[in-house]
Amino acid sequence: MAPSSIVERARAEGRTILTEIEAKQLLEQAGVPVSPARLATTKDAAIAAASELGFPIVLKIVSPQITHKTDVGGVALGLASAGDVGAAFDRIIASAKEHAPAATIEGVAVQRMEKAGTEVIIGMTKDAQFGPVLMFGLGGVLVEVLKDVAFRVVPINERDARQMVEEIKGYPILQGYRGQAPADLGKLHDLLLRVSSFVEEHPEIAELDLNPVFAYSDGAIAVDARVVIEGKA
Amino acid sequence: MTHDLRRALAPRTVVVVGSKKADGYMWLRNYSTFTGNVYSVQIDPNEIPGIEALGVQNFTSLADVPGDIDYVMLAVPRQVAPRILADCAKRGVGGVSLFTSGFAETGEEEGIKLQQQLLEIAREGNVALIGPNCMGLYNRRLGVRQSGEQGAGEAGDAGFIGQSGTHSINFGLVGEAHGVRVSTSVSIGNAIILDVPDYLDYLTDDPETKVIAMYIEGVKDGSRFVESLRRATAKKPVVVWKGGVTDAGARATASHTGSLAAPRAVFDAIVRQAGAVPAHSLEDTIDVVKALLYAKPATGRRMGLMAMTGGQSVVITDAFVDAGLEVPRLTDASYEQLRSFFNIVGGSYQNPLDMGGTIGFGGSRETLGRLFDILDADVNIDAIAMEMASGFLARMWQSTPASLDTLLDAIDAHRNRSAKPFVAVLQPQHVEEVVVAARKRIQERGIAVFPSFERAAAALNRAIAVHRFRAGMD
Repeated sequence: MAPSSIVERARAEGRTILTEIEAKQLLEQAGVPVSPARLATTKDAAIAAASELGFPIVLKIVSPQITHKTDVGGVALGLASAGDVGAAFDRIIASAKEHAPAATIEGVAVQRMEKAGTEVIIGMTKDAQFGPVLMFGLGGVLVEVLKDVAFRVVPINERDARQMVEEIKGYPILQGYRGQAPADLGKLHDLLLRVSSFVEEHPEIAELDLNPVFAYSDGAIAVDARVVIEGKA
Repeated sequence: MTHDLRRALAPRTVVVVGSKKADGYMWLRNYSTFTGNVYSVQIDPNEIPGIEALGVQNFTSLADVPGDIDYVMLAVPRQVAPRILADCAKRGVGGVSLFTSGFAETGEEEGIKLQQQLLEIAREGNVALIGPNCMGLYNRRLGVRQSGEQGAGEAGDAGFIGQSGTHSINFGLVGEAHGVRVSTSVSIGNAIILDVPDYLDYLTDDPETKVIAMYIEGVKDGSRFVESLRRATAKKPVVVWKGGVTDAGARATASHTGSLAAPRAVFDAIVRQAGAVPAHSLEDTIDVVKALLYAKPATGRRMGLMAMTGGQSVVITDAFVDAGLEVPRLTDASYEQLRSFFNIVGGSYQNPLDMGGTIGFGGSRETLGRLFDILDADVNIDAIAMEMASGFLARMWQSTPASLDTLLDAIDAHRNRSAKPFVAVLQPQHVEEVVVAARKRIQERGIAVFPSFERAAAALNRAIAVHRFRAGMD
């Protein structure tokens, strides 16, 4: 689906929050490395998508009404085979229907279970005065508790991207702490620059969270994506 | 609409409207140092004799003032302000500062209504309006001042934009006491017509202004501010002191990023991104401006430190390292030279140079010169900081003033030869009155001197950050 039609559909349905699949589609089209997600409405389609993406696989319920997916048993991790995916598909649909009977269930998101990397967060929010502002930080506890994050207004340049990464207190962790392989900083800078361009090209996006992004020694990938669009066109 | 501010901010004729005895003829006194013509406009016959007693020619109407009027200070009751502003528009004045307050800043209906009238009159008449609710212009060279205590005469190097009259006046006063003199400063008040970017653009192009500092609380047009700030930093260093930075206003939003993007964090990011330097108080602003004006530009962060005693050597190192600078080992060549004459009984020369026993507390000019030469030649060292040992030496500087000159001559000889930035630390110690006098003598030589290691380090570190940004390094 074209970027405009993704946003239009969400608006037509009265939503300001895109589904993970929609969000990732938009990002993927903009060249932002995301772990791809496919929508499957049947068990067979889930198995086919899993085979295409490669195992291990994660399944997540897709429903505009369900935001906390784990609370309704809507998530299955580490599925290693077609058989596991098929069984998990049935289990997730049944559990979601039981726990959230009023919710519209669009299907299940099929996603590759990426190997763990150093967790970082990349986000965007809009400042009333300065417009879109990008954020970078280490993920998990560090962002929540220590607010160890760096900001720059959009658009950013290469120097800004580098400074954002170097500015956070947790930077030594990305440089390779205690024998851990250093993160591929060039790929992180590139990811920030791509998100900046993406945000510039899509003024209709109000807020964005890529959380987590896994930083590896040879790349980086956004594992989860959340996109909020402006209320009106 | 953009205004050419050259007439308003470098005026040849100034008019004060509404000067009166009750405020001690404040504005006429502030302009008593003005090099051009000062006239008064006052219709109250009770006030006119007092004005004329000051030697100022008074008129009862702006229309009667002879010649071109470049700058008008309006100090009239708020209800009258719109009418007088309209007169200014009619006369085609270069600019108007409106001292009067009681407009939108009050939040009350009458004030908001009057401010709207000012806005319409100024727009319609294309008046370069400064304020309202401001202290207007300080042009040191021309002697147009915001306060009768501010200096006048030779032009300074530091431009200032202040969203507070107090901070604007104090930047002039406190700055000058610490060796930083103003070129052009504007207290911008409610900034209903001219705003920060207008003044920033002017100071960017002003040849007298070498460094720009500002105190701001809020920005009306974010993208225009950023654009203007970027243009300024491409030409000269800019120091931004932001008031009102608490995170109390942080909003609740649907995303992580939104809740973390407190106004302060975003503003600091903008300042850095534009290549400007953040500062946190009046003293801090003056410190950074001082380092930018008086320490030579450098992009390296490796410090050569000089102190008179062991204890000071330790804490000067702590302060510079804590600020983000480095204190590396010297080269072997430097150590070889130092070994030949450095007194290591009660001293050491690893870096810092604990040099009291080597140069003697009288400060041997030759030996100190040798130490400077070694640090200057050392490729491991980018910048030099020296502790002045005021605790031990101030009494001697008082009884034998030439002893301070000997020390300063050695420093100057080094500064004349060296391209590396130099900062001095003159601690208040127990002899503050002597230190104040010594500080003035040090500043007169154009040496960047700070009252503590921490302030010296923090200021120098940010000055280096500016030079690195401008060199495309960070």
